Amino acid sequence: MSATNTETTAMCWSCGAPAGGEHFCAKCGRIQPLPRGTDHFHFFGLPRKLWIAMDDLETRFHRLSWKLHPDNFVRAGAEERDLSLERGSQLNDAYRVLRDPVARVEYLLAIEGMRKEGATKQQAPPELLEEVFELNESLDELRSSREGNQHGAEMTALRRRLEEAAHGFEARLAEVDEQLMAAAKVWDATVDSGDAAAGRAALTRMNEILNRRSYIRNLVRGVNEELAK
Amino acid sequence: MGRTVGIDLGTTNSLVAWWNLATGQPECIAGPEGSSLCPSVVSLDADGTIVVGEAARRRLLTQPERTIYSVKRLMGRGIEDVQDELKLFPFRVDAESKQVIRVRLGERVYTPPEISALILRELKGWAENFFGETVDRAVITVPAYFNDAQRQATRDAGRLAGLEVLRLVNEPTAAALAYGLHKSQRGLVAVYDLGGGTFDISVLKLISTGEGDIYQVLSTNGDTHLGGDDIDNAMLAVAREEIRARHGAGLDAHPEAVQELRKALVTAKHTLSAEDRTAVRVALPAAAGGAVYAHEWTRTELERLLEPIVARTMGPVKQALADAHQKPQAMEEVVMVGGATRTPLVRGRVEEYFGRVPHTELNPDEVVALGAAVQANILESGVSNMLLLDVTPLSLGIETMGGVVAQIIPRNSTIPASAQDAFTTGVDNQTGIVIHVLQGERELASDCRSLARFTLRVPPMPAGAARIEVKFLIDASGILQVQARDLRTGELRSVEVQPSYGLNDAEIERMLEESIEFAEQDFAARQVIEARNEAESILAATEKGMAGEAGRSLDAGERAGIGAAVAALREAMGGEDYKMIRGRIDELNHATANLAEAMMNQVLHATVEGKKLSEV
Repeated sequence: MSATNTETTAMCWSCGAPAGGEHFCAKCGRIQPLPRGTDHFHFFGLPRKLWIAMDDLETRFHRLSWKLHPDNFVRAGAEERDLSLERGSQLNDAYRVLRDPVARVEYLLAIEGMRKEGATKQQAPPELLEEVFELNESLDELRSSREGNQHGAEMTALRRRLEEAAHGFEARLAEVDEQLMAAAKVWDATVDSGDAAAGRAALTRMNEILNRRSYIRNLVRGVNEELAK
Repeated sequence: MGRTVGIDLGTTNSLVAWWNLATGQPECIAGPEGSSLCPSVVSLDADGTIVVGEAARRRLLTQPERTIYSVKRLMGRGIEDVQDELKLFPFRVDAESKQVIRVRLGERVYTPPEISALILRELKGWAENFFGETVDRAVITVPAYFNDAQRQATRDAGRLAGLEVLRLVNEPTAAALAYGLHKSQRGLVAVYDLGGGTFDISVLKLISTGEGDIYQVLSTNGDTHLGGDDIDNAMLAVAREEIRARHGAGLDAHPEAVQELRKALVTAKHTLSAEDRTAVRVALPAAAGGAVYAHEWTRTELERLLEPIVARTMGPVKQALADAHQKPQAMEEVVMVGGATRTPLVRGRVEEYFGRVPHTELNPDEVVALGAAVQANILESGVSNMLLLDVTPLSLGIETMGGVVAQIIPRNSTIPASAQDAFTTGVDNQTGIVIHVLQGERELASDCRSLARFTLRVPPMPAGAARIEVKFLIDASGILQVQARDLRTGELRSVEVQPSYGLNDAEIERMLEESIEFAEQDFAARQVIEARNEAESILAATEKGMAGEAGRSLDAGERAGIGAAVAALREAMGGEDYKMIRGRIDELNHATANLAEAMMNQVLHATVEGKKLSEV
């Protein structure tokens, strides 16, 4: 297992041999510090592609866990203990991100400089504006009729309308996910072809899709929370 | 370097276990009273003597105001967190309590980590007696749902007890380790752990790989204030109400009577796991009417009190399964941990929910300590075919504008885990950036648990020019570490993190100074006492032998040799060097080899003479 890093200048802190950003020094076997900016794909020895075979990723995760987990370094010196904590935590961080398809796209966009890590810009999709407007009206109605302690048929009808709307948005969410998958395939193809311009375009498209996605998801969550009250 | 042990520091009972290399199995170590359960009770005598365990538990009846139990419920908590429970405890919380609770026992005031350290030290003593060697390292278990402050308090307790805490391991995970070893099961496992004061649920995946078995925790959830104690309190409330109604006076002014009643009810609760009904009779103090509380408790009655407690466990169970993206039916095994899972109602509900008979073949009291010993062995031996991948139970976040929490490490992340964030200044010449770290699932900082606040120092510069990158790291024990780096200079900055609820380093150092000396002294003192006791018995036996027929059968030279060895041993006994005493015991043993043989022959002779041949 190797994290083939382009940074080959790094020397092993222990024996001085070229360590090349690998997890362990090839000569003395000591765990190595993490070069700054090592990304999660690199860490797993994977190309920067969005299609990842889950069982392969899990196998890589387990194999690296055996080697990097701090459990293996309890009796080692302070330097190696710190390094195993550093590498061991990045291993877990990387696995957490890469195994989740949406988090994986967000992460890619962040390391490609398209998006601040963790930032979610919500964008109301123009074609949805009318529906969103209606939905918000229904939500307001539900809240005010709840405050007015109204019961019975009116309330039931209102709830049913909201549930239907939520279902509609959930279907939209599924559509958006399909669009995201398609864009991801385009990105992966540009990694192989080396077409940088097409790559940027795919990233931009995914960024837009993600913004729409988080908008719709929050909408659905808001409605469900209101209905659960 | 001394030995390493696994310790289950429980709400009601604590245990210590070790890895027996000869059998390849973990085993619990019994204390002087023969039981491996050490009641988590500490009592302080008027003369300053500290009593821990069973002996302290007995004092709950006679000196409740000098005795503390269930201190685990106070670990890592602030005074405002525990108002409800304090009503149920006989001991008093000191008025000085601020971020760290201080409990008054007689004349002295203790923090919860100090009390826990006394329990740990007791268990350390048990293990040292058992090994005849010092014990200086331990794996200690904590409820999976413990937050950072509660974990730090536990680690502090270990340090105060003179133990290097190699790792804190989550209780259900430890149970799974012990269980997996027992069954070599693969697949999805749910661990339902209802202990004395805490409830945990964990979902694990047990995987075989070429390198060995991985125990991967997928999710965990729980309630750190839910357990068998709550059942006791509910029973006690019912009984006290009945006493008040029937006899006119309550037991408010009689803490001893309350403890007596509690003890009787706990016994009844245990009985009702096997029987349908049991009679409870407790004589009440004269001032409280002088009558007798007599009530036949039925299982139905107990279950009515138990039902809401079991119902409260189901919320966390559902959340843990949802977080693991699993359905209850997908669990291939369900493991029960904690004394409260002996109750038929709890077993029934769990079986119903998962559609599977839960495993109860491992002793639910011991399984966590056994798992801790397994992990201790993994860490100690360095080479192992078992690997534990645990998770952090609560999301970690930082407070942003408007008191909203930005989540940086989500709950159920495999640990160690980390997150980085860059911070800058908002106004010109600002020299500090305040960071507030929180734990919890709510959106507002005021609804989450405050872990720590710290200030990043920056030189005066225009607003936005400073760039400090902060790395938050949760280590393999689930404890937060913080590192800051100035992105302009690349230099690392040390961060002084003042815990919101916990002891700071200076306080720990002071307590350590007071306690470490004790620890060293404790071990040596105990060794001296034991060596002296052993010397007394061999001296008595020698004296007896010399005075008898066997002694007279020895020649003068041998008698003189024994006399000299006896004198040498007596001299060593006057000193404090237990190694010298043991050496002289060996010498005396050597000198009396013939005497012992002669005595044995005599005894054998006498026995044979007095009996028929067939009886020999």
